[in-house]
Amino acid sequence: MEAGQYRLPIIMHHIKTGLYLGRKLLNLIPVLIGLSIISFLLGVIAPGDPAYFILSADGFTEPTDEEIHIMQQQLGLDKPIHIQYLRWLNRAARGDLGRSYMTGKAVSSEIIRRLPVTLKVSLLAVAFTIFIGISSGILMAAKSDKAYDRIGQIISLCLISIPGFWLAIFLISLFAERLRILPTCGYDSFKSILLPAFVLAAGTMGFTMRLTRASLLDELHKDYIITAHSKGLKYNIIVLKHAFRNSLIPVITLIGTYFGHILGGSVIVEVIFALPGIGQFVVDGIFARDYPVIQGYVLFTGTVFVLVNLSIDILYLLFNPKVRLEETT
Amino acid sequence: MRKKGILFCLSLLLLSASLHAGGAKEVEGGEQPAAEQKAAIVEEEIVLAAPRDLTPGENFFHPASVICYIWEPLVSVDKDWNPVPKLAKSWKMSDNAMEWTFYLREDVTFHDGEKFNADAVMANFNRYQKTPGKSKFYSFSMKRFYPNFENIEKLSEYSVKLSFEKPMPTIVYYMTNFGSPMHSPKSFDADGNFTITPAGTGPFKLVEHVPDEYAVLERFANYYGPKAKAKRIKIKVIPDGNTRFAAMRSEEIMGVMDFGAMQPNLAKELIKDNRFSDSRAKNSIIHYIAPNGTKFPFNDLRIKQAVSLMIDRRMIADEFYAGYAVPASGILNYASPFYKKLPVEHNPEKAKKLASEVLGDKRVSIDLITPSAFIKKFPYKEQCEYVQAVLKDLGLDVEIKIMEWGALNEAMKTGNYGLCMRIQGLPHGEPLGIFSSFMGSEGGQNKSYSLGYKSEEVDTLLTRLDQTIDIEERTKIYNKLQEISARELPFIPFINDASLIVYNKKITDYKALIYGGTLPTLRWAE
Repeated sequence: MEAGQYRLPIIMHHIKTGLYLGRKLLNLIPVLIGLSIISFLLGVIAPGDPAYFILSADGFTEPTDEEIHIMQQQLGLDKPIHIQYLRWLNRAARGDLGRSYMTGKAVSSEIIRRLPVTLKVSLLAVAFTIFIGISSGILMAAKSDKAYDRIGQIISLCLISIPGFWLAIFLISLFAERLRILPTCGYDSFKSILLPAFVLAAGTMGFTMRLTRASLLDELHKDYIITAHSKGLKYNIIVLKHAFRNSLIPVITLIGTYFGHILGGSVIVEVIFALPGIGQFVVDGIFARDYPVIQGYVLFTGTVFVLVNLSIDILYLLFNPKVRLEETT
Repeated sequence: MRKKGILFCLSLLLLSASLHAGGAKEVEGGEQPAAEQKAAIVEEEIVLAAPRDLTPGENFFHPASVICYIWEPLVSVDKDWNPVPKLAKSWKMSDNAMEWTFYLREDVTFHDGEKFNADAVMANFNRYQKTPGKSKFYSFSMKRFYPNFENIEKLSEYSVKLSFEKPMPTIVYYMTNFGSPMHSPKSFDADGNFTITPAGTGPFKLVEHVPDEYAVLERFANYYGPKAKAKRIKIKVIPDGNTRFAAMRSEEIMGVMDFGAMQPNLAKELIKDNRFSDSRAKNSIIHYIAPNGTKFPFNDLRIKQAVSLMIDRRMIADEFYAGYAVPASGILNYASPFYKKLPVEHNPEKAKKLASEVLGDKRVSIDLITPSAFIKKFPYKEQCEYVQAVLKDLGLDVEIKIMEWGALNEAMKTGNYGLCMRIQGLPHGEPLGIFSSFMGSEGGQNKSYSLGYKSEEVDTLLTRLDQTIDIEERTKIYNKLQEISARELPFIPFINDASLIVYNKKITDYKALIYGGTLPTLRWAE
């Protein structure tokens, strides 16, 4: 009987967690349908005809109306919009995102081919953000109002304020042109993604430094820390198990959202560092009104973003179960 | 004190973990042996860079640009863009110009070992007629490159005859470079679609290609002509101009290729460094301002002339193109074999007088639109700002709008713009397409750019060209059309662009051509 009394809250907790995750997963369906409709309509509403772009891809040729009409028929663009959309949705549901109008290649295979580039740069950028951003933030909190803290605040402000393209050019000039220890661009080795990842991470790294500092300082002044002190708990236990862990909630939110965002590819970084990632692929697709590319990309990044957000919510549960389960009840 | 010490240690631990993670990845990746392997190749490999993928592959009509020297045409061009033999060693026109016989080289093999002969030409022409001509370089259609085409006939193992429904005295001009690419018939299916990496006949064969990253060309040992000097050339895709500049300075690349590969001001900056040199030639691009001739004020010729007179083309060529480019005043680019040099006039006083006749004291607001894609390649931002500044004196208040292609073409088609700064290239040496498209009353670009140009004299001259077989007579008509274009301004040309190559002096014999460079002669200097 007593064992049952203990087990009941645990079972209730698991049910709540399950319900919470189930609801989040169900939310995926309308979100993705909404995303697909919006991306489809955005492509159609935007000025420009894919048939025209294909026929004038060289930038010099002006196709005739007859040529455009034939190309529209070949692409199925002469069908009503809702038919085009439903056809695409039907194929997408079976994992076929169609073929790029411009290159003729399968969109899914292009995304898969380019994903490792974007993924590696994104993961390294997140690693920079986590390790440099958080550790510097902790150091700033530890040396609060000292020289290190002030220097850290200036550096973080610079990282936030400096435009990505400028930082990229500066770093290329320093590390590639002058010191010649890193390549200017390309995707050959681990070395070649160091600069792009740093540029991609810079802004969020600055935010993370400031957020970690503020959050940790805030936690260290809370009553439960004082109580823990008065109970005689060792300071490193208090910091590691309580203050640091609780101070991470806003940082996780920031880094998680950031990760979801950069997984969609960063055009500026990819263009400057000549990385064949997803960002460049979709921008070319947008400019050419390459509907299958745009739609496939939106569906892919939308799914990634929602899944990353779900992961953040799960991390919340790990770090502080009260945060979300209370919302469920 | 103790508290801070713990925090300090914790942060150090995190920092070292991050650095260790980075270092470990490199070792785990086993990249050291690969790097050594690569270094061995790189010793012989010359690395160049282009702003785009010059070998986009089998999904395009032209799987590679002609400047990669992978495939060759039947008819090539000399330095003045006149047609010269390539895979066709000679040709003969019938008296009525409706039949052309091409005699083919007999010593040519494709990279896949197939023999080049009349059957290969027949197969390629079959492909031309079947496959959609989607190209990243020059869109192909039989109608555009082979107007009035009737059929092709094999006369012998090494000769073919092209027949046309109407006289085509300049067909060899149409057929130059992108107009007659030859690929091994084994590379494509019955529908004309490439099924494997297409094999050409050029001095280089494509041995490796990662889309949008790089292509590796290797010397073709069985090439019929002088063999390529470099054993391997790697062409990296570097879309950003500043990165290409940095890659040149860090000596990661030895040179650049393709249109707009190095902005003139950056080229000038590079050659201040003794390690670099440049080479220039005419190229087939003309920069121009299209006026919306369907609406006020540009439906009045005087205001178009005023804009033209206000622009100091010499200053633009010298300042924005660092002296590499040449002022333009006629519709035809200076690389065309039919180009006629016309005077370039810069006369602000006359311009103001003409403008005041049309506008009086009224000020008119107009949009100057330009494609965002060109901002990276050409000094369009500076040019737009210059035009904005000088047109103020005419009573025209210009608002610059940088637009992406879709929006820009839509604005031009619907006539929702005032002026548009853009470029026009020449796909081949025959200028008829340019004249009829921009100047013909029913011309494609005249209508779709809302140029609103109409001239009975021009329409008559264009009709006369249909019946004119004699090249000298045609040249006279082309000259007349160029004179009219400079006077009546269907569009306002201002710069003939230059083909510009910058290279490291560690390589040599790399010279600019109208399009591309002398890749086959390129070699290490030592």
